[in-house]
Amino acid sequence: MSAPAQVAERGAARKGGGYRRPSGKGGNFEVYSWFFMRISGLVLIFLALYHLVWWNLVIGVEHLDSQVVIARWNNPFWRLFNVALVLFAMLHGLNGARYSIEDYIRRPGLQVAVKSLVYTVVLGAMVVAVFALVTFDPATLINR
Amino acid sequence: MANARRTSLGKSLSYRGREGMWTWILHRVTGLGILLFLIIHVLETATVIYFPEIYDRFLASYKTGLFRVAELVIFFSVLYHAVNGLRIVVQDFWPFVMKRQRQLVWATAAVVVLAMIPITWIMMAPIFGLAEEPGAARHAQRCMENPEAPACLDASHDATVVAGEVAL
Repeated sequence: MSAPAQVAERGAARKGGGYRRPSGKGGNFEVYSWFFMRISGLVLIFLALYHLVWWNLVIGVEHLDSQVVIARWNNPFWRLFNVALVLFAMLHGLNGARYSIEDYIRRPGLQVAVKSLVYTVVLGAMVVAVFALVTFDPATLINR
Repeated sequence: MANARRTSLGKSLSYRGREGMWTWILHRVTGLGILLFLIIHVLETATVIYFPEIYDRFLASYKTGLFRVAELVIFFSVLYHAVNGLRIVVQDFWPFVMKRQRQLVWATAAVVVLAMIPITWIMMAPIFGLAEEPGAARHAQRCMENPEAPACLDASHDATVVAGEVAL
């Protein structure tokens, strides 16, 4: 594949070969993004696989209902676990979606439009989920 | 640039990038699939606090064989994405393993396939009446203590158990 315009910029040539990192705008965002994908990915291996094994293989989806979930959420540890799972999974997924959008949608206007839509939906769902977990009040729900 | 964009899907997939290309494609596809499911899943689960009746209606509609297949696909997607992601992290931080990168790909495939065998059995066998639903004992205990729990009232629930009782 030939390089798109935005990839063409690079820093000054290095003495021993290669190029310096381009300076100026953008900063080190892509480096942090690369690190974040590895760190969040390693954390998610434990959080997401535990979540899947617990609900699909130990409890059984067939036996799920609102009471099972509320009983689980009465424990603040599991609310914190779920907040961590939602935050890491959504941000990891959003950054992954950004990679795909930047790879496949090259028209600048369309790229911005698709990014805006995807960011809004993903971050919106994340906020709703974290809001539900954080405002959960066992006192008002325990006798439901 | 224009030529690159016009490459057809079939032509792209016939590119012989071998193992590395296929793991990359599957990593993307599973990642995007998981994200789509995740958006729906967290919104639906968020209803449990303020609208538990709606949540229970959502869940009742999920308790079909078709949804079980979808849940298995999601389990596979997360497992593959996790094991392949771990392979990528290992290769990034210890570049010398790149000498053995092809073997690492096959090790990834072996781990995923071996783990999927019992997982598929546990999740799918109950659909065909070949085994109890996972967690059946715990569920039976809960329904004795609280027969009014939504999952205990569901008529379609545990069809194999009901059929067994009729036979007796």
